[in-house]
Amino acid sequence: MSLTEPGPAQAAGAGTARRRRDRIRPAAGSSRLTRRRRRAGILLSLPAVALVLALLGAPIGQAVYYSMTLWNGVTATWIGPSAYTATFKDPIFWRVLENNALLLIAVPFAIGIPLAIAALLNEHVRGWRFFRSVYFLPTAISWVVIGMFALRFFSATGVLNQLLAKVGLGASATDMLAGEHSALAALAITFIWSMLGTNTIIFLTGMATLDPTLIEAAKVDGLSRRQIFFRVTLPLLTRFIQFAFVITVISAFSALFSLIFVMTGGGPGFGTTTLEFFVYQTGFQQVQFGTGALYGIILFVIMAVVGLVQLRLIKPGDEG
Amino acid sequence: MTAPVTPAAPAAPAAPAGPADPTPSAPRWLGQRLRRNMSAWALFGLMVIVAVVMLYPFWYIVDNAFRSPGQFDRQSGHSLSGWSELFANLPVGSQLVNSMLVCAAAIVIILVVSTTAGFAFAKLRYRGSGTIFLLVVAALMVPLQSIIIPEYVNLAKFGLTNSYTGAVLVYAALGTPFATFLMATYYRGISDELIEAAVIDGLGYERTFLLIAIPLSLPAIATVTVLQFIQIWDDLLVGLLFLPTSQRTITAGLATLSAGRTTSIPALMAGSLISAIPAIVVYLIFQRHLIKGLTLGMGK
Repeated sequence: MSLTEPGPAQAAGAGTARRRRDRIRPAAGSSRLTRRRRRAGILLSLPAVALVLALLGAPIGQAVYYSMTLWNGVTATWIGPSAYTATFKDPIFWRVLENNALLLIAVPFAIGIPLAIAALLNEHVRGWRFFRSVYFLPTAISWVVIGMFALRFFSATGVLNQLLAKVGLGASATDMLAGEHSALAALAITFIWSMLGTNTIIFLTGMATLDPTLIEAAKVDGLSRRQIFFRVTLPLLTRFIQFAFVITVISAFSALFSLIFVMTGGGPGFGTTTLEFFVYQTGFQQVQFGTGALYGIILFVIMAVVGLVQLRLIKPGDEG
Repeated sequence: MTAPVTPAAPAAPAAPAGPADPTPSAPRWLGQRLRRNMSAWALFGLMVIVAVVMLYPFWYIVDNAFRSPGQFDRQSGHSLSGWSELFANLPVGSQLVNSMLVCAAAIVIILVVSTTAGFAFAKLRYRGSGTIFLLVVAALMVPLQSIIIPEYVNLAKFGLTNSYTGAVLVYAALGTPFATFLMATYYRGISDELIEAAVIDGLGYERTFLLIAIPLSLPAIATVTVLQFIQIWDDLLVGLLFLPTSQRTITAGLATLSAGRTTSIPALMAGSLISAIPAIVVYLIFQRHLIKGLTLGMGK
């Protein structure tokens, strides 16, 4: 690891390079180098650009075109933008979109709980590294497997109801997956659980970047630990909270497919059908490629809005 | 800008301070130490509770994978009948191999295109390379569901959904934007002078990339590999739609077995266990790289 760290090699290389460059100054040579560099740059970036363009870029254009057709997999009929107005009049579409909106209720929990857990770990009580590993473990697990457990947790004879019975609340036992809204709640709770590890690590990383002298100063000023957390730590974590927020919303809208597939199949009724699952149902179960593509485009627009926030946050090309 | 983000390191100085109490009471040192101890135990207790919540599902899966359906209903006794049912209903061995092959092929493609492109975007800039880099990274925001129908139509048209090829290509394309971002970020941390010196010494840009940049970026390559392995291994959607039934991955196989609703719960738990083990092993060994990859996404 330390061998491959850029640090020392970089320092050694810098010195020799500067000396060489002073010697080799002729304009002709450097412009030849520039040309070669440009050619190498184009050549080396080409495969990635081609792959992304062919498999992620072009299909967006195609999807826009498909979205204005009626297409059952065999015959396609062009119907134009009226496909969109028809969709916006469809109550089922709004029912599905409502599920997406309801899922947003989970987001504050998926951020608040990990914040508390990160604050807990950040006290660096004995064994905190071990607990950090434990909390992050679900990140490695497929949502198929998580859904497999969640299905048994929330079912009528499942773990949750057994727990309720044990503490004398047997009367409130319900089959959460049988009701439309309760099934969505079960899905949301599973989602929150799945996000705990990821968001905790984000906040823990954020807390590690804080200047410890600020906390010390606040202590000297006589602030309580709670005051320090809310008045000093939290405001300094804004960037990390925004990042976690974006990741969580993206996951809620475009990564729950496996969970829905395993836990509810979108049901009961349209109770747990979110837009991403609706694309799958419409396109691949009912083989309506056109309408399915249309839902995909709407999802894309929603994600693009979230994405603009994201791009502002990560600022990829420092100076291009 | 230094290359990798080191997650926990800067926190170290804060550690000894611990949960100090700012309100001093009469026998000062005694009260403080007592309270510090008590709050340390309270924190420890809280952490144990959270750990139980996070680990219980795994315990449940392991416990019930070794039961017969009857034993599952009674929640007592253990047997291997779930496993024999699983192996009778799911080609576990060949699906594990399918998962491995698909993961390996996609990761190789991702590594090749992301290291080359990352190096080009960081060190071999040309007119418009900044914009192209932004476009590649922006593809990160394209949800697969938005393009899945044209993707399916395209791949089917070229007959790529009859083999591993289609799924491998889709996984590779999905992984490339973030991997390229990560590699470019890493290569920016290597000094321009070092690269130029190598080129002037006669290595040429291509060999400088292979002989200097690649060895320097092994930590970033490890991060990309681990991140992508877990993502592809755990994925359902692509495996379900773009692979023929005989070449399904274990995750897709397990999900369809579950959707059939005829397999007993112990057999499904056994399947969950066996499909999760490779990802857990990779996680336990390469945890550091996984965390680094995630936090690098935040930029600096």
